[in-house]
Amino acid sequence: MASPCDGTLSPTEFKFAAEALMKKWEECKSILHPWIWIPCPKLPFGAPDKAGGYLSLEHIHHFEFKKQQDCIEQKYSEEEVEALDSATLVLSGENETHYYNFHIIYSTSYKVPVLFFRGYHQGGQPLKCDEVEKDLPLYTSKLLEESKWTFITQEEHPYLNCPWFTLHPCGTSEWMRLLLQQRLYSSRPEDLCSHYLVAWFSVVGQVIGLWAPLNLVHCSSSSSSSDTFCSHT
Amino acid sequence: MAESTVLQFSPFQSHVEEGFWKRLSSLKLNTLGLDETPVKITGFYGPCSHAQVSSHLYLLDESLPANLAEESSSSEMVLGNRNRCPIPGTLYNTNTLESFRGLDKQSLIRKEAKKIWEEICSGRVEAACAVLSRFLVISYADLKKWTFHYWFAFPALVLNPSALVSKLQPASEWFNLEEGKSLSEACNEWRKSSLTAVPFFLVIITADSHVTLRPLKDWETCQRDGHKLLFGFYDPCHLPSNPGWPLRNFLAFICSRCKIEKIQFLCYRERHGLADLTHSLVGEALVSISQEWKNPQFIPEAVGWERNGSKLAPRRIDLATSMDPIRLAMSAADLNLKLMRWRALPSLNLDKLSATKCLLLGAGTLGCQVARMLMAWGIKKITLVDNGRVSMSNPLRQSLYTLEDCLNGGDWKADAAVRSLKSIFPGVEAEGFTFAIPMPGHPVQAKETAGVLEDCRRLQNLISSHDVIFLLTDTRESRWLPTLLCTNANKLAITAALGFDSYVVMRHGAGVSADDKDASFSVCSSGIEGHESRRLGCYFCNDVVAPNDSTSNRTLDQQCTVTRPGLAPIASALAVELMIGILHHPEGMNAPGEMASSISESSSQPLGILPHQIRGSLSQFSQMVLVGSSFNRCTACSNLVVSEYRRRELEFVIQALNHPNYLEDLTGLTELMDKARSFNLDWEEDDETDIETVL
Repeated sequence: MASPCDGTLSPTEFKFAAEALMKKWEECKSILHPWIWIPCPKLPFGAPDKAGGYLSLEHIHHFEFKKQQDCIEQKYSEEEVEALDSATLVLSGENETHYYNFHIIYSTSYKVPVLFFRGYHQGGQPLKCDEVEKDLPLYTSKLLEESKWTFITQEEHPYLNCPWFTLHPCGTSEWMRLLLQQRLYSSRPEDLCSHYLVAWFSVVGQVIGLWAPLNLVHCSSSSSSSDTFCSHT
Repeated sequence: MAESTVLQFSPFQSHVEEGFWKRLSSLKLNTLGLDETPVKITGFYGPCSHAQVSSHLYLLDESLPANLAEESSSSEMVLGNRNRCPIPGTLYNTNTLESFRGLDKQSLIRKEAKKIWEEICSGRVEAACAVLSRFLVISYADLKKWTFHYWFAFPALVLNPSALVSKLQPASEWFNLEEGKSLSEACNEWRKSSLTAVPFFLVIITADSHVTLRPLKDWETCQRDGHKLLFGFYDPCHLPSNPGWPLRNFLAFICSRCKIEKIQFLCYRERHGLADLTHSLVGEALVSISQEWKNPQFIPEAVGWERNGSKLAPRRIDLATSMDPIRLAMSAADLNLKLMRWRALPSLNLDKLSATKCLLLGAGTLGCQVARMLMAWGIKKITLVDNGRVSMSNPLRQSLYTLEDCLNGGDWKADAAVRSLKSIFPGVEAEGFTFAIPMPGHPVQAKETAGVLEDCRRLQNLISSHDVIFLLTDTRESRWLPTLLCTNANKLAITAALGFDSYVVMRHGAGVSADDKDASFSVCSSGIEGHESRRLGCYFCNDVVAPNDSTSNRTLDQQCTVTRPGLAPIASALAVELMIGILHHPEGMNAPGEMASSISESSSQPLGILPHQIRGSLSQFSQMVLVGSSFNRCTACSNLVVSEYRRRELEFVIQALNHPNYLEDLTGLTELMDKARSFNLDWEEDDETDIETVL
């Protein structure tokens, strides 16, 4: 890290910090599945990506407590398609579930990690911005309006060629610097680095309602209570 | 369960990622074209890992071959991993919505079911068991609207009579503690090994509670060994009383190949990547092998078209927001402005800006730059008026034109400008009009009168249908009529005018009303008491002569309007920023003119001060902010002129066009000038007198 700690990370430090986060996450036996490191395919312009990849947490469920709407274009008479079968379980009016994918990607211009996220309806239809906002915890929408450090915007995903939502990174180095200040003098640089993403996630995760296991930051052995991230508080 | 009931299976659910549709789109555009041959695809699924949500069968971008040549040469199945078991499938992509709707669904599902049945009978299933879950998808890709219609079918061979279930309970209750422990270990080992992409397996339990997992091809050996045998499979379903869909074809395989009618099965489910025995189910199914099945020609019926909600209907996914480049450009522009508002200017009113309609009179050096700046600010509606064609020297200084616009005599500027704006930002609503603005001092021939009147009316209509009018033409006299019309209609007018190395950018005062007090003299460069209550001046308020023909009878160098190239971008930028300031000011165009030294509270607006006029000079690299009141004898905006226009309308206009002296007479300028001249004469006479007497 540029010394003294200015809240930023170098690409190799990011990889190191990512590994530390994955390890910590597993150790704390989070009920959420583990983060996976996705090594980057070579970018078409040939510039080697020093960070080498990104972290991915996919298929996180978010439960909607309203019934799924049947939006059918053309009614097919059942006989036209197939005969009714007694062995098929037909469920109707299930509560809809939204699925979210989260990626933590290193930003070379801001030198900080950036959270990219995308939500989908069951079946794969991507969620629109206002639908995603509804899924966020209640306090977040207030936070988004007022805070000068949190802003959800849409950016082209660096590897997937598709617009994803992100938390704009321009304030990250500032608040990371503040967050790490306490540790700055008491830790070795390697410890500071491995703690970076954990600290970063404890803030960012809250904004998007992705509860980090309670013990992630404090290294105690209690386990977290909820499995999914909730929209209603 | 005491008695047997029909075993009901929970259908497979599909989930298609965007990457799949993108790859299908590019395959269709680059390779498939109109070819409707079925395409081999691969689906992926893993055992259920969540107590409340079933796992899906996924289609990802890897599900499709990158190009079709690859398909035949590479190995049949794409490599999966422990969470993505590969399942072979077939995609039937059609070219029209009608053909999509018209596909014979019964025959398609039968075709796939036949493949499964044949693979069971031939023993292929034992070698590559994932084929038991073979599926098909029909689709139609609308690449204009970026919408994809699709329908999955998971063919399940129908058992006749239906399978009955005599027992179904969590695995933890079925097995004793030791067996349970051994089973968990065996499953976790199985899942870790390189064979994990195998969704069907045998579970052998020895007398000493030791459990092992074996591949299907070992079924004969295992049967002979005589140990307890369960048939296990990765169960995508999470429900506590129903197994998942893959069990259907598994039962068909077991009863027809292994000839077993009382089948004990394990619905394998996980939690945190490890076997979860409380969630996994073990059950006993009763199947009767029907006589028909013994007939080698027979093919069982199949069901399995996926339901959309509770109805048997196709699904549709709309990816325009993430694939349509126009939508992407528009949302990027929108976000850019929102970012500015968030980071620097919270009071920025983006809705107001995107609703403001701007009319640009002139599509030259000033017009092109103003138009671009307006788009950068989020203005959506831009109308351009110009009567000229793009000439060869234009592209250098007029930033919307390229060489192509100059060819074949040159396109009409208004049209070329509109095209260019749309190519920069497709979301702009740009319109162009080609006609000349009528000017005083350029008399109208009798035969042209009707045409000129038409042009006047057009200009009136355009002004009344827009909110802000930019006067960006290249002569003084061409600004007269627009100024008058804007004053009359009380529309915001902003003028930018260029000299060789100097410019003026100003906003005209508000419209005239009967009791407006206009100043009796013009431009002041310092604040004067009671200044703010006076209406601000227009471009002509400083002048004591009416606009006249400035283009004829000039020397050659005067005829070409030459300006330093840097001027137009500076002046245009200031003109647009001035407009933004006005739109954000609570008093709008009635806001008083401010200067840097002004200490009135309105200068604490977030965007800064709101000047009336800005005059700059490149030779000095300097700029002045001035305020001027309206002149009560102004030929364009004074009460006298506007009320005459209101009284006689276009008749008055024609008169003014043909006889500019008429304007001077009307406003009393003639009289004023006569007085001034006579005053001078008096002075001359007294020139010789004693200075002391005069003083």
